[in-house]
Amino acid sequence: MTLAGREPPWRVLAGFAAVVAALAAAPLLLDAYTQNLFTLAFLMIAGALAWNWMGGYVGQVSFGHAAMFGIGGFVAARLMLATPVPAPLAWLAGGLVAGVFALGAHPTLRLRGPYFSIATIGLGEASRLVFTYWERFTGGASGLSLPLVAGGKEALYFWGLALAAAVTAASWAIRRSALGLQLLAIKADVDAAGDVGVSSTFLQDLVFVLSGAVVGLSGALYASYFSFIEPNDMFGFDRSISFVLMCVIGGIGTVLGPVLGAIVFVLLRQFLLASYPQLYLGLYGILLILIILFEPLGLTGLALRVRRRLRRKPPRALHAAGPLASSASANEEGC
Amino acid sequence: MALLEVRGVSKRFGGLRAVDAVGLELRQGEILGVIGPNGAGKTTLFALIAGSLPPTSGEVLLDGARVTGLAAHRVVRAGIVRTHQIARPFPNLTVLENVVVGAIHGARRGGGTPRERAAEVLAFTGLADRAGDGPATLTLAGRRRLELARALATAPRVLLLDEAIAGTNPAEALALAALIRRIRDERRVSIVMIEHVMPAVMSLSDRVCVLDHGRKIAEGTPQEVVRAPQVVEAYLGKDGEAVT
Repeated sequence: MTLAGREPPWRVLAGFAAVVAALAAAPLLLDAYTQNLFTLAFLMIAGALAWNWMGGYVGQVSFGHAAMFGIGGFVAARLMLATPVPAPLAWLAGGLVAGVFALGAHPTLRLRGPYFSIATIGLGEASRLVFTYWERFTGGASGLSLPLVAGGKEALYFWGLALAAAVTAASWAIRRSALGLQLLAIKADVDAAGDVGVSSTFLQDLVFVLSGAVVGLSGALYASYFSFIEPNDMFGFDRSISFVLMCVIGGIGTVLGPVLGAIVFVLLRQFLLASYPQLYLGLYGILLILIILFEPLGLTGLALRVRRRLRRKPPRALHAAGPLASSASANEEGC
Repeated sequence: MALLEVRGVSKRFGGLRAVDAVGLELRQGEILGVIGPNGAGKTTLFALIAGSLPPTSGEVLLDGARVTGLAAHRVVRAGIVRTHQIARPFPNLTVLENVVVGAIHGARRGGGTPRERAAEVLAFTGLADRAGDGPATLTLAGRRRLELARALATAPRVLLLDEAIAGTNPAEALALAALIRRIRDERRVSIVMIEHVMPAVMSLSDRVCVLDHGRKIAEGTPQEVVRAPQVVEAYLGKDGEAVT
């Protein structure tokens, strides 16, 4: 979790453990408002990191992940309303159903680049419409109210922290594993990867399921957090875009990036929604353009640049062009 | 019995017969050269064997078992791997990591962990000191070595080399030719090589097969093939004189 390059894993782990421990102790100091903001950030961190497995590691940019977010939320909500199962089990069920649902996107895996993205827009919007009109399940436009979770908002803070920490650790582990190398190989050249034995279809299905399940899980916790959900928010195109935005702001394809991006996104959204509700989407658009033009690796790229300057090393040439292919330098630095 | 057997394989793109009923046999421990003018169908033939493209007709057998119609990654796991004419390293991975990707599947057959296997292959191909660098920092010959290393890491039985030497300077060409020979002799990998650098083909190959317009027009020892009138005609035209 540090920006440092080839540091021994124990230092990264120690830093990570320290941050998690500090956050676990933080509620002692935080007021309720700030604590809720943290909880929301944890859920968005988990969602953004999971989106990044597909969008950053495999390089398939999905604009349809709201579908899994919404399904996770509504399945968990329905379970909690209909049965006395404890909330964590309902969340888990929501995540699992979302993971299986994500497999439905299998046919889109033949497509790459913009074609894949366009197909996921279609799938996401189709899901939104189906679930908006499926009133018996989602309550339609009037939505669903959820029972309170045992332990209230305080408990949700810790569940959120646990989820975010687990997904961050998983992102780091995947990045360093044989699986992660194969995903990066698929991103670079899917045919050349196949020619050295990488089964791109199977691995992409696997990532779809994992990514969908975690996004679904964060959607389920989000449902409990808001205690009221409705399809247009959960399945909305805004929601899908938000995962892309968080990763692009922070640094797509890196581990640290989506974490930073989610934090900035949550803070910015809270501020802008309160102060300039009409402007906030437009401001995201401008931010996105600036990042893609000047720092394709987002905040992570910026941090790397600053660190390099401090060490007075000549900047290394980025040997990949474009925002979606440029995790190379971050890979060298081990973000 | 032949290790690799290609039986009457054809590929049609619309009206064009890119590969037309080509048959080949590769014996264990052999180096088979494939030559022919540009556009003769050599690379397409490799794509058909390696599963990158499905053949229109015909079949490919490895050790008597059909591999035709398998996806490329399954053909690799069966033991046939190809390299690309223009090296295609993964630019977002280091040299070592590039080879590890191949070694993940090679380790199942060849033993060891992927990283151990990759390190061993890098040492064999002379890239050990570049392990941590990005592929973009390698020379053309270096990228060719990386392409070879990545393919070797999959622990193949048959290696399909698509112009592994062409385009490098004479010293590098000799070194690459020596490496190819060592792959056959020390690693016991049988090789089919497409090559335009004639001295290399002639000295490395046990047999050479010549393609022209998608058809096999000659096959034999290097000496036999260069004298065959139909080969001379394919390269130089009908009124050309034999080159010796």
